[in-house]
Amino acid sequence: MKRDRVILGLLAAIVLAACGTTSTSGGGGPSYAGKTIKLGAILSITGAGGVYGPQSRDGMKLAVDQINKAGGVNGATIDLTVNDDASLKAQSAQLAQTMIQQDLDLALLGPTLSNSAVGVHPLAESLKTPILAVSTTGIHIVPDCNFPAAAACKYVFRDSLGEQTAIPDNIKSYAADKHPSTGVLLVAQDDKFSSDGGKIVQDTVGQYGINLLAVIKFSKAESDLSPYVTQAVQKKPDVIFITSLGGIPAKIMSEARKLGWTGQFLGGNGFNTATVSKQAGADGMGARSASAWYIGNTFASNADFVNAYKAAYGKDPDQFSAQGYTAIKIIADSAKRANLTFSDLAGDRDKLRAAMETVKIDSPLGPFQFTADHDVKQTVWIIQMDGQGGFTLLHEIPAS
Amino acid sequence: MGQQVLNAIFIGSIYALFAVGYTLVFGVLDILNLAHSAVFMLGAAITYSLVVNYHQSFAVACVLGIGACAVMGLVIEYVCLRPLRRRRAPPIAALISTIGLALIIVAAVEQGRPGSAFAWLWVDGANSVRFPPDMIPNPTWHVDGLTLEATKVVIVPITLVLMLVLGYVIRFTQFGRGLRAVAENPRAASLMGLDVDRMIVLTVVLSSALGGVAGILFGLALSDISPYIGRDSLEIRGLAVIVLGGMGSIPGAVAGGYLLGLIEVLALVVFGSNVRAGVAFAALFLMLVLRPQGLFGAQLRERL
Repeated sequence: MKRDRVILGLLAAIVLAACGTTSTSGGGGPSYAGKTIKLGAILSITGAGGVYGPQSRDGMKLAVDQINKAGGVNGATIDLTVNDDASLKAQSAQLAQTMIQQDLDLALLGPTLSNSAVGVHPLAESLKTPILAVSTTGIHIVPDCNFPAAAACKYVFRDSLGEQTAIPDNIKSYAADKHPSTGVLLVAQDDKFSSDGGKIVQDTVGQYGINLLAVIKFSKAESDLSPYVTQAVQKKPDVIFITSLGGIPAKIMSEARKLGWTGQFLGGNGFNTATVSKQAGADGMGARSASAWYIGNTFASNADFVNAYKAAYGKDPDQFSAQGYTAIKIIADSAKRANLTFSDLAGDRDKLRAAMETVKIDSPLGPFQFTADHDVKQTVWIIQMDGQGGFTLLHEIPAS
Repeated sequence: MGQQVLNAIFIGSIYALFAVGYTLVFGVLDILNLAHSAVFMLGAAITYSLVVNYHQSFAVACVLGIGACAVMGLVIEYVCLRPLRRRRAPPIAALISTIGLALIIVAAVEQGRPGSAFAWLWVDGANSVRFPPDMIPNPTWHVDGLTLEATKVVIVPITLVLMLVLGYVIRFTQFGRGLRAVAENPRAASLMGLDVDRMIVLTVVLSSALGGVAGILFGLALSDISPYIGRDSLEIRGLAVIVLGGMGSIPGAVAGGYLLGLIEVLALVVFGSNVRAGVAFAALFLMLVLRPQGLFGAQLRERL
């Protein structure tokens, strides 16, 4: 009898101990009940990047709501603050500093534009704060955020598909379909994302027998693009490559069609939002780009996301929403496994960083994990504008 | 090349219309009103808001937009210029006060978002927007290999008619004679019984209304309306235009506008896209060195 009591007592102690360290909601991690995981996002809600940032924000907020409603991360609530950098590089870096040193956020997300990332990411790296890029696709985002220094940045991650993968895949796919022989590149020279994209186009076209007749550079602040588009159209190219962001691709498409040009537009990540497709309207019909995501994918992690997004916002998500949503899921999964203390911020940031390196989740983008360089490795979807503000899928290119 | 010349004429007309407002104030007051680019932007922004957010017809919105710019002219005079003039402040003080007003106007529009204090004025923050495509018919014609778009073509006659009317008013009306007298010598004009302050008010109001017209035409033709269109596209170019044409000269501003448009486009065609702005400002520099009085400098003695 006495022995039974001892055994019962031991069992009770084991159960109690287990309850003390295991979350009822998180499924296996340490309990963070009553705690708050503070995250800060730097997004371009206004300015040139204002056609992308709001979508990222909505995706992130949906993920936060879903996680918190399901009991949080091992019981901890996610508190996400979204700050608008107005697409300005200096404002972006200033926000990052405040969020890291004053708001004491555990990790940051963003910024929207590669142009701003060159200021924000090295700052986060130097202050040893994990930062997850959700839409930046330029060169030298990961791992060499301190370019030209070659050392890999330990705290910078990216869940957005780099243009170094996307643009060549897009050109390769179109060359295989239509065999174009000539092209003209229109590139905004004063923006990192755009000029990086231009460089990639110039480095790639030769491999597919496309003769680049002209590289026409303009400033992203220019309102009057007609002289540049006229110059491009007068070269009579098969393809016009556009590496620019915001409303500029749509303006170029409209100008070129008004001038009677009927060739093919090829672009980069700047095309991949419904806002740009809508702005271009019928003039954008058939414009192709390589996307990290496609709305019509029926695998569960995407279908659930699309349905939840539509229910929450009454509209379709786009690639930027999917990447924002995935980013929160990545951080939540990492935090769950990171054994956070909530008393040692520097230590927690380091633990989260380490846990992010081994993340493996199903996301709207597909099965997700980081490469050793903290970059994304995923299927690429070649899509085209449908002329009505949406996109249709042309090809699926498996991760190489 | 023909199409590029057309592009130059279209954008040159907007430069001209904008610069005439600049030069009108300079001719009368000897100061540069650097709030002019903000008023230009305000004309486009208010007209856009009235059409999109208040569902007014484009014609009504234009009239109200231009009217609002004229009222802003009153603000420029009564807040930025007159108090300084009363204290005989140097022209640089007025220059700085107009820069201050420009920053305030741009910031007010930039802050205009749903739920903000300026949501009644503008709701798109720092974003670039365009007039609804179906707001007015915009046919495109193809003639002899040239493409003519109605919203761009229409700028040219509007600019020329406005300039002719303005030229007539200044040359042949009582108001114009008064304006020229004030420009020539305000003290003498005052001693002759002219109400100098009233002439200045009318000048700044007229200049601002012209800035508003230029802003609306710009937004319509280039499909770009944002808080920064004045600052990014017109402010420095407007200065270049009046230097090219001759400071204070209205025909000079018109000629300078078209000349700058042409130089920019030629630079693009001949030297390539990288040097477009550079060549335009090299021309400006050459003008300052070789003929500082500008194209119409010989007429500077008789201002306006």
